[in-house]
Amino acid sequence: MARLSSGLVIISMCGLALTACAKTDEPGAAPSPGQQQGPVKIGISLPLTGDFSEPGKGIQEGYQVWADRVNAKGGLLGRKVELIFRDDASDPNRVSSDYESLITQDKVDLVFGPFSSRLVIPAAKVAESYGMVFVEPAGAAKEVFEQGFERLFYAAPAIADDHYDYLADYLVKLPEDQRPKTAAYASLDDPFAQGTAYGLRDRLAAAGIRTVVDEVYPPETTDFSPIAAKIAAAEPDLVVGGTQFEDSVGLVRALQELKVQPKLAAFSTGPTLAEFPEAVKGAAEHIVSPVGWSATSTFTGNEEMVRRYKEMFGGAANEDAANGYTVGQIIEAAVTAAKCADPSKECQDELTEHIRQGTFDTVVGPLSFDDKGRPEQAHMIQQYVDGKIEIVLPEQAGTADLVYPKQEW
Amino acid sequence: MSLLLQGVALGVLTGGLYALLASGLSLYFGVMRVVMVAHPAFLFLAAYLTYTVHTALGVDPFLALPVTVPVFFALGVAVQRLLVARLAPENVAMMSVLLTFGLALTIEGLLGTFYTGSYKSVSMEYATRSLTIGGVHLPYDKIIAFAVAALTLAVLFAVLVRSRFGQALRATIQHREAARLVGVQTERVAGYGFGVGLATAAVGGTVLALITPFFPASHWVWIGKLMAIIVVGGLGSVAGAALAAVLLGVVEGVVLVTVDATWATMMFYVFLFLTLLARPQGFFGGRLAHRF
Repeated sequence: MARLSSGLVIISMCGLALTACAKTDEPGAAPSPGQQQGPVKIGISLPLTGDFSEPGKGIQEGYQVWADRVNAKGGLLGRKVELIFRDDASDPNRVSSDYESLITQDKVDLVFGPFSSRLVIPAAKVAESYGMVFVEPAGAAKEVFEQGFERLFYAAPAIADDHYDYLADYLVKLPEDQRPKTAAYASLDDPFAQGTAYGLRDRLAAAGIRTVVDEVYPPETTDFSPIAAKIAAAEPDLVVGGTQFEDSVGLVRALQELKVQPKLAAFSTGPTLAEFPEAVKGAAEHIVSPVGWSATSTFTGNEEMVRRYKEMFGGAANEDAANGYTVGQIIEAAVTAAKCADPSKECQDELTEHIRQGTFDTVVGPLSFDDKGRPEQAHMIQQYVDGKIEIVLPEQAGTADLVYPKQEW
Repeated sequence: MSLLLQGVALGVLTGGLYALLASGLSLYFGVMRVVMVAHPAFLFLAAYLTYTVHTALGVDPFLALPVTVPVFFALGVAVQRLLVARLAPENVAMMSVLLTFGLALTIEGLLGTFYTGSYKSVSMEYATRSLTIGGVHLPYDKIIAFAVAALTLAVLFAVLVRSRFGQALRATIQHREAARLVGVQTERVAGYGFGVGLATAAVGGTVLALITPFFPASHWVWIGKLMAIIVVGGLGSVAGAALAAVLLGVVEGVVLVTVDATWATMMFYVFLFLTLLARPQGFFGGRLAHRF
């Protein structure tokens, strides 16, 4: 009996040792010459259905346009690029298992990020645990950068809090008699939307522009008139909305109804969407918004991306597609510099190091990152001028001058 | 002070809209003990149809009503006869939640397929202007919504009180077996009752389209609010729902201008909670609500 059990112990120990061997073998096997010849496989999970399906598709198209261009040029390091997509249905649990299986089953060489801070965090946790570099197109909330990720980079000009930096600079520099004296803020209870409004609020408050209304409303809010009534009673020079779409339209309409006529009105996200001018009619005129990308900008590869997008998908490219494309551009530059594209630790370390140090020319402008992966640039400011979207700040990228004070809506 | 008045005025107008949106819910529950989770989904279905009529023909959104109201009535009868009537009678309340939840998802999916997930809106020139009386601004779109709600509820009320169908329907609401004994064809009446409920959704949807942009999943935020209204009002009581809607509209408006938006939204649930604790049959619910 004693013999039998000691035999069992030996057998099971051998078993354990074998599995341990198998495990340690894997990373070593990855950069074998055979695999180097195949395509560069890039694993991506995106919300193609569910809450974020619209922006998710936009990002997917951006990735596809990038892959198409790279392959037309002969691929990455002479290897074709192959994108492997999974649909996470906007579910944070699915996104984790998607990346898990992309990395362990599909043995992808690189991973690209999903859409929205809510999905980026669980996805980055998986990528980080396998030591994969993780460039993501849409995780701008503060929390993303507070998780201690070492291989995450956000491929857009700025995190939420810095979106209005150029506008703040402009307002603070105005001569005393033209400068707005009071400002009203209304923001959706959402880390990204609040980040944009509060970034501006804090900068303006520091410059002596008084905050007269500071409202936060939950996502279930359907009626914006009472919020507008509060703003109307305070008669602010400046109205700032930390908004998404419905609430930006709701606020603009309610402010009109309550006859609030500020000198400047700024809303995030809503006005950058194509549906906005239709939804608020003439009231869109002179509304300003932070925007990370412009179809008409002359940044590296932008013209080509817009053209290729039109050829492939028939419509006009949007910011989501541009953000996806930007991820591709950064990885492309890093892979070319590091001369490797495989999941081994050495290669992923080298890519990470390169991205951390470098500055990258992309369709949203030159990008560089701090030690938490936060981009160090700022968003441009757009304004509806004569019914058209124009870039008004910064001046060197501008297509028109900022109109201030705005016309009545 | 004027801010408070403004809050009350906006609350009354919004309350009118809530009354219109909730009236159908009250009816379904009254007639058939059906908890109709899909009612807001039907509201937005109507909003999309209004959008189609408005953009395709370039006419005022309210001209969509002669099309959508009969269609929705027929749809309501069909839903009741083909789906709801087949639920096991002993646990209709529970099973109807599941059934109509499925309906809501189906509608949302179809809307997403046909209209895509992007936002749609119907914006009329008059929708962003307002009437100013003594420093209080009354937005025209809200006045219109209130007027349409008042008119629709008056018609609904007249039908319920005056017509033979209304009497049969109320008899069915009050005591199904007794109604059947005196010769009311309760199945048919129940079908028509459901149809009338959905017809109010057609009207409500048009009004909603006028005041807010929408996308296929817009309906979820309305379910909680509307359910709270009919519970506070007394399940099954259309008049109670209307009064509760105006009451909650005013409370929401006043809390919003005096405290903040988070508390204002919470008021619906605070009232729901208080009602369930203090008077579970609802503040205006009659005998029939006692059965639950």
